[in-house]
Amino acid sequence: MFTQIRVCSAYPFVIFGFSVPLSGVPQEEKEMKRDHQDAGGGGRGDWYAVAEQEKGKASMGTDDGVDELLAALGYKVRSSDMADVAQKLEQLEMAMESSAAANDDVLFAHPAFDSVHYNPSDISAWVDNILSELNAPPPLPQQPPPPPAASLRHQFDLSPAGTEQYSIGTVDHYSPADVYELKPQSSTASLRDRKRLKVCSAFPSSSTPTDVAAQQVVVVDSQEAGIRLVHALMACAEAVQKDNLKAAGAIVKQISVLAASQGGAMRKVAGYFAEALAHRIYRPQSPRGVSCSSTHESTAFDDMLHQHFYESCPYLKFGHFTANQAILEAFAGCRRVHVVDFGMRQGLQWPALLQALALRPGGPPSFRLTGIGPPQPDNSDSLQEVGWKLAQLAETIRVDFRYRGFVATSLADLEPYLLLGAETDGRGVEDDEPEVVAVNSVFELHRLLARSGALEKVLGTILAVRPRIVTVVEQEANHNGRTFLDRFTEALHYYSTMFDSLEGSTSPPSSPEARRHGQAMSEMYLGRQIYNVVACEGAERTERHEALAQWRARMCRAGFESVPIGSNAFKQASMLLALFDGGEGFRVEENDGCLSLGWHTRPLIATSAWRAAGDPLRTSASS
Amino acid sequence: MAGGNEINANESKMAVPLNTWVLISNFKLAYNLLRRPDGTFDRHLAEFLDRKVPANVTPVNGIISFDVLIDRPNNLVARIYRPAPATAAGSIPIFTDLYQPPSYDTFPVIIFFHGGSFAHSSSNSAIYDSLCRRFVSLCDAVVISVNYRRAPEYKYPCAYDDGWAVLKWASAEPWLRSGKEGKLRVFLAGDSSGGNIAHHVAVRAAESGIEIAGNILLNSMFGGNRRTESEQRLDGKYFVTIQDRDWYWKAFLPEGADRDHPACNPFGPNGVRLEGLPFPKSLVIVAGLDLVQDWQLAYAEGLKTAGHFVKVVYREQATIGFYLLPNTNHFYEVMEEIKEFVRFNL
Repeated sequence: MFTQIRVCSAYPFVIFGFSVPLSGVPQEEKEMKRDHQDAGGGGRGDWYAVAEQEKGKASMGTDDGVDELLAALGYKVRSSDMADVAQKLEQLEMAMESSAAANDDVLFAHPAFDSVHYNPSDISAWVDNILSELNAPPPLPQQPPPPPAASLRHQFDLSPAGTEQYSIGTVDHYSPADVYELKPQSSTASLRDRKRLKVCSAFPSSSTPTDVAAQQVVVVDSQEAGIRLVHALMACAEAVQKDNLKAAGAIVKQISVLAASQGGAMRKVAGYFAEALAHRIYRPQSPRGVSCSSTHESTAFDDMLHQHFYESCPYLKFGHFTANQAILEAFAGCRRVHVVDFGMRQGLQWPALLQALALRPGGPPSFRLTGIGPPQPDNSDSLQEVGWKLAQLAETIRVDFRYRGFVATSLADLEPYLLLGAETDGRGVEDDEPEVVAVNSVFELHRLLARSGALEKVLGTILAVRPRIVTVVEQEANHNGRTFLDRFTEALHYYSTMFDSLEGSTSPPSSPEARRHGQAMSEMYLGRQIYNVVACEGAERTERHEALAQWRARMCRAGFESVPIGSNAFKQASMLLALFDGGEGFRVEENDGCLSLGWHTRPLIATSAWRAAGDPLRTSASS
Repeated sequence: MAGGNEINANESKMAVPLNTWVLISNFKLAYNLLRRPDGTFDRHLAEFLDRKVPANVTPVNGIISFDVLIDRPNNLVARIYRPAPATAAGSIPIFTDLYQPPSYDTFPVIIFFHGGSFAHSSSNSAIYDSLCRRFVSLCDAVVISVNYRRAPEYKYPCAYDDGWAVLKWASAEPWLRSGKEGKLRVFLAGDSSGGNIAHHVAVRAAESGIEIAGNILLNSMFGGNRRTESEQRLDGKYFVTIQDRDWYWKAFLPEGADRDHPACNPFGPNGVRLEGLPFPKSLVIVAGLDLVQDWQLAYAEGLKTAGHFVKVVYREQATIGFYLLPNTNHFYEVMEEIKEFVRFNL
C-alpha cells in the first residue's frame, strides 16, 4: 500500500547518487532477483540463513585466501597472514610506546607522525609503513628555504580565454606550492610496493567489467511535486526505452509544466533532461544535435564553460590537485621529466605543478610538456597559444620548459613514437639523464569507449611510452550501462547530486553576480554532458562515464597496477574544500588507493594513479 | 611498561578470535595516531583511514539502504536501512518504493547511534553499515543510522541535538508508522558513545511526550570522576585505557567540565532525576572485559532505582567490539537478546 509522502521541509529537492561498493562487499545478484519475485514479507534476508553462511565463512578462508569477515568490513588480510599481521601490530604498539617514553610522552614530537599513509585496507602494508617510519632516523634538516621571492607565493591565475597575459597577483586562494608536499622523499617510499595485496589480483583476465555497482541514493529532502517530476522523467525514459515515442512525447510536455513549479537545482536538472529527451524523441536520426557530434568539439565556448566549471566548484581542482600530487611524488629526484596531457584545453592543471616543481628541494627538473587537443574548427592554434603562455610562466619562475602540442581527432590516433620523439629544438638528442614520463588524463578516457578497440589501443600506447605514472580523473558514475533506461536513471541520480552541490557553494572571492554567472556556466557545462548521455548514441555518445571499479578492471587487464594515493594528498585536498562555502557538504574519500570527491555521501569525481604492472620502482636518481 | 604490554597482548589475544584481535588492535593503533596530547584531533587522517561503504538501493541479502539529508545547515545525514521493497521483477527500486512501509504488520524502527567515543566513525563506516544491516534482518526493522556531529569539533550537546532531530524527523514520516493505531514504534540503540546518546535522546523524548518502545545500549559509554574498580583492574588490558577514555570525555564535554557532568555520569551528583518520567524499557549489554563496566552497571542500577525497567545482559568473557564480527557466541547470543527485546516491546 502506498502512502502519500508528506511535505517535510522547505527544501524542495530530491537528489540521487550512484556509486560503487568497496571491493569485498559481496554483491549477491542472484539473491536480488529472488527477492524481487518474493511477495511482501519474503523480501528481507533470513537472519538465520545469513548467520549460518557467515559461521561457515568464519571457519574457512576464501579462494584467494583473504579473510572474508574482515573483507566485509573493508580490510584485506590473507588468512594465512593473520598471525603475522597480529605480530606486526604488537610490534607497532611497542614501538609507539617506546617512542612516547623517549619523548616524555609527547608522542607526536617524533616526526614519524607526519608519516604519509597509503591504502589502509591493506593492514599489513599499512603497519609496515609506520614501523619503518618509526625506525628511520629523523630526516636531515631541510636546505635553507629559497628566498621569499614574492612572485612565487602568488596563485598564478589563468586569464579567461581570449586575453593575452597571465596575471600574477595575490589572491586568497591557497598557494599551491605551499600545499603540495615538497618534503624530500624518504626511503620508505618504496614500501608502498612491498608485498602489497595487489588491487589487480581481484580481477581475473577473463572477466568483463559488469555493472556490479552499488546504486546509491541520497535524498536531499522531498516535496510531492519533486517526486512527481522524477516520476515523470523516469516514465518518459521508460517509454523511450520501449520505443513508445508518442507516449514519451506526451510525458515530456508534462515535465516542462512540472519543472516550472519547482525551484532550484531540481528545476534545472529536469530542464536539461527534458530537453535531451525531447531531442531524442523528435529527432531520433539526427546526425548533428547540439554537442552530439565529434568526440572533441572543443571550441572556445566549450573551453570557457570548462573554465567556469573549474572556478565555480571544487571538482576539477580536486582532480588536478590530486593528480599533480601523484605526479610530483613520481618525479621525486628526477632531473628530466615529461608530462603528456591527453586533454590540454587551457592548461589549467599545469601552472600549479610548475610552481611546485620550481620550489622543490634541490631545484626544479627540466620540464617537457606534450599537450594533446582536438582540431579547432576555426583553425585557431589555441594549443600552441596555451603552450606559449605556460612557457612564459615557466620562465618567470626559472623552470627549464619545453612544449609541444599535438592535434588529434582521437587519442587512438596517437603513436608512441610521437610522444617519445627525439627533440628537434637543437638540444642534444643523447642525454645522460633518462626522461621520466607522466601521462595525465582528465575526463578523456571515457570518450574512447565510444569506438571499439580505441581504449585498448590508447592504453597500449601509454604502456609503450613506459610512464613512471599515469594519472586518471574520471566521473564516478556508470553512464555506460547496457540499456538506455539504466543510463538515464544513473545520470539522473548523478547530475541531480552535482547540481545540488552547485547551489550555494561559492569559490571566494566573488560577488553574487559572478557566482550566479559561474554557476549558470557550470550548469551548462554539465548540461552538455546530460545531453550527450541521453540524446546521443553510437560513436556520438562520448560521455561514456564508468565508475572506479570498472576502470580498475580495465586498467588491470591492460597491464597496469595501482599506485596508491596517500593521506597527504587526502588531507590537502580536504583543506582545499574549506575554501568553498558550503564546503562541509563536500567529502573526500579513500578507496583502495584512489581518492574521490563527492557531495555528502555520494562520490562524484575519482582520481587514480597507475603504472605498468611489474615495473620495479627505480630508486631515485641523485638529486 | 614494555613487559606489561607483552602480557596484555597475550591476554587480549586469548580473549578473542585472531581476526577480531587484528581488527580491534588496528583500530586502537590508528586511533592512537589521531588523538593529540593537546586535545586536538587529526580529522583528515581519521577520515582517510576510516573504511566507508556507499548506500545501496540494490538489495543485498534482501536489504537496501539510502541516505537522507535531514538538516541541510548542519549537513545532518542519516542512512536508512530497510527490507527491499516489492517492485516489478528485475526493476530498480524507484524513489517512491523507498518510502513504502516494509510490512502490513507492525514493524520496529530502530534509530541507531554508532560508536566511536563521540569522535570516530560515521553512519557510512563499514563496521556500522554491516551492523545496521544485521539489525534489519534480525528484527524485521527499519534502521536509521544517525551521522551525528562528532567531538572535538562539536562538543556536547551537538550529538544529542542531532539524535533528537532525527527522532523528530522519524515521528513525522507516515511510512514509518504501523499497526492498528498507526503509530511509530521506535527503539533507540547504540554502542559505546552511541549508547550514551540513546540514553540522552530518550530522556528528551520522555520529557517531550514522544513514546520510545525501548532502549538498547551496547557497551555504552558512561563515566565519572572517580576511578572504579573495573577501570583500575582492566586499564590497558583489553584494547582500552583509562587515558584514552579521559581524552574522549574531555573532547566531548564542555570546556572546564569534569566527568561528573550529567552527560557522562547521568546518575552521578549532577544527574537528572528520572523518577516519574515515561522513560523506555532498557536492554543494557555489558562486556565483562570492558573497563567501563562498573559505570554501565551503575547506570542500570540508576534506572532501576528510578523505577524503570532494565534488563542487563552480562557477557563475562566479552571484550569491546564483540558485536562487530559474527564469530563468537557472544555475538549470536546477544543478537538473540536484542531480537527478543524488540519483539517483546514492539
